[in-house]
Amino acid sequence: MSIEVELPSLGESVFEGTVSRWLVAEGEWVEVDQPLVEVTTDKVDAEIPASHAGVVEAIVAAEGDVIEVGAVLVRLDPDGKPTTAPAAAEPAAVPPPVATSAPDPAPSATPVARRVAEEASIDLREVEGTGSAGRVTKEDVLRHQTATPMEPPPVMPPPPVAPARTPAPPRSASQFGYELQPGDRVIPMTPMRRIISEHMVFSKRTSPHVGTVAEVDLSRVVRLRNEHKRSFQEGYGKPLTFLPFIVNATVRALREYPALNASVIDDAIVEKQDIHLGVATETEKGLVVPVVRHADRLSLAGTAMAIDDLATRARTKKLSADDLKGGTFTVSNPGRQGNLYGFAIINQPQAGILRMGEIAKRAVVRTLDGEDAIVIRTMMYMALSYDHRAVDGAPANAFLYRIRELLEAGDFDL
Amino acid sequence: MARALDIEWHGAVRYADGLALQDRAVAQRIAGDRYDRVLLLEHPAVVTLGRSTDPANLRLTRDEMRDKGIDVFEVGRGGDVTYHAPGQLVGYPVLDLDGLGRRDVHDHLRRIEAALIDAVESFGIPCRRVEGRTGVFVDRARSADPGGPDRKIASIGVGVRKWVTFHGFALNVSIDLAGFDAIVPCGLGDVEMTSVGRELEREGRTVAGGAAALDEIVREATGAALSRWLGPGAPALG
Repeated sequence: MSIEVELPSLGESVFEGTVSRWLVAEGEWVEVDQPLVEVTTDKVDAEIPASHAGVVEAIVAAEGDVIEVGAVLVRLDPDGKPTTAPAAAEPAAVPPPVATSAPDPAPSATPVARRVAEEASIDLREVEGTGSAGRVTKEDVLRHQTATPMEPPPVMPPPPVAPARTPAPPRSASQFGYELQPGDRVIPMTPMRRIISEHMVFSKRTSPHVGTVAEVDLSRVVRLRNEHKRSFQEGYGKPLTFLPFIVNATVRALREYPALNASVIDDAIVEKQDIHLGVATETEKGLVVPVVRHADRLSLAGTAMAIDDLATRARTKKLSADDLKGGTFTVSNPGRQGNLYGFAIINQPQAGILRMGEIAKRAVVRTLDGEDAIVIRTMMYMALSYDHRAVDGAPANAFLYRIRELLEAGDFDL
Repeated sequence: MARALDIEWHGAVRYADGLALQDRAVAQRIAGDRYDRVLLLEHPAVVTLGRSTDPANLRLTRDEMRDKGIDVFEVGRGGDVTYHAPGQLVGYPVLDLDGLGRRDVHDHLRRIEAALIDAVESFGIPCRRVEGRTGVFVDRARSADPGGPDRKIASIGVGVRKWVTFHGFALNVSIDLAGFDAIVPCGLGDVEMTSVGRELEREGRTVAGGAAALDEIVREATGAALSRWLGPGAPALG
């Protein structure tokens, strides 16, 4: 009685395969699980193993045939006698068949013994079998292995290096031994979330971040803004916010401190000619940083319009790849109440990022007519994170202080 | 809790040794001696020829390739000419799909694609699949340079033996792309090979530390993405 071996299901979307190569021939004895044939499905090569031991009675599907899942590949006869030697054995070396009714090919061995022998590079023909009818068992192989000197092991590549260097950074709580609890919500990261996540990890690992904070009196900016708010809205159709003032002052300071408009590239620090300012913007899907190109060439109004345009397109998902590229420095404006100050992560490969704190009225000490007085002023903390590989503390602080000076002077071209 | 995928970096491994390493890994996985793992490595320059490859189609003779320090390896089975060299990240995921509850070879293939796309996109290079072709391609429409032929950044080809996977992918990172031109006939058509380094250059970006640093960060990003997409509990594919 013969047994049919069919093309098994290889997945929900796989309906057919192409027979690419037969690994056995008709008349050959095959063991259970021995690969019979290679079948190629779209981009995948699958080896189809024998479901039973037996003699290959008939190869039904020829090389090159396209067959459906469930179609017959080959018929095996479990009671048949082999008429050809296994392909692996060299014909000249095949010993005469053992005089027994067992339909095993020579050398006769159990599947486990074959595997053990193969892994240890032991020729089964050299092993004395003690199983039924002289069949070679696993124990025989192991005994042979310890009795004979080992061949030099095959040349192997070096073992994997210590895990600290190469494996992925820890990414999930499961790697810290957290077991999911009933009621926990598992929210798979969106591609965008993953990109943000990877970028943040990469940046923190690449740049030694140093933070420094300055307090800035925005009273003059407030006055200026109040003076021009209405005309700006009428002239440009957009509200005038604080952000363009901060961006404009930052850009002017960058021109004076090119060390902050730089990247570390190949053991060199590259100070960039152009100033393209990234403005970190929160959207529904996550953080994006569209770039105001040549921000140093824009007036305050031009800066305001460029920021508004980018922010609008970010929220309506109309940003192009170009809008996100080539930033040389970034300003982040989380702009929520209660955000006194905080340090942002550098947007690689830039040298620094300025993060605005909450804008609020605070009581501060000023000297008026030679007298110290407590006055109410509109204040903001701004925090600079910078890459200490490229920039030292003194220039970074001077840069930050320069932004403060420009904002406090309120000298903007409106 | 299922055991996380082992991501192993084996460094430079000659092609033939890599095949032996992989065969052993598959045998060990089938025998249940090892957990699921991904072997990451790179090969010294080598051209592999399939059974159906006509050597006359190659631009260089075998002797010329050997003179250039390029090994020639006949894989004894169907398939195209492939080229491997330092700066190309080669990955052999050896996973028991049955044990992972994912008995679907195409699902496996798509997961490798998804991982590579994620890894490459994390460097700001937009990628996509191309219908009817294997591998990962730069999404030209979203890239800095939308013109020209399709640009292939990674090749994929997988095998499965008793639901244990082998073969995998080759992702071009800092590899000298001239190697492909020198060997593979341009007759192979309208696809141009590219690399992470080449795409970054197109955008005028470079990586601090040069090729070695790029190889390393791409390797790490790829390892992370493979853990995410191939490991136990990986999200369903969209």
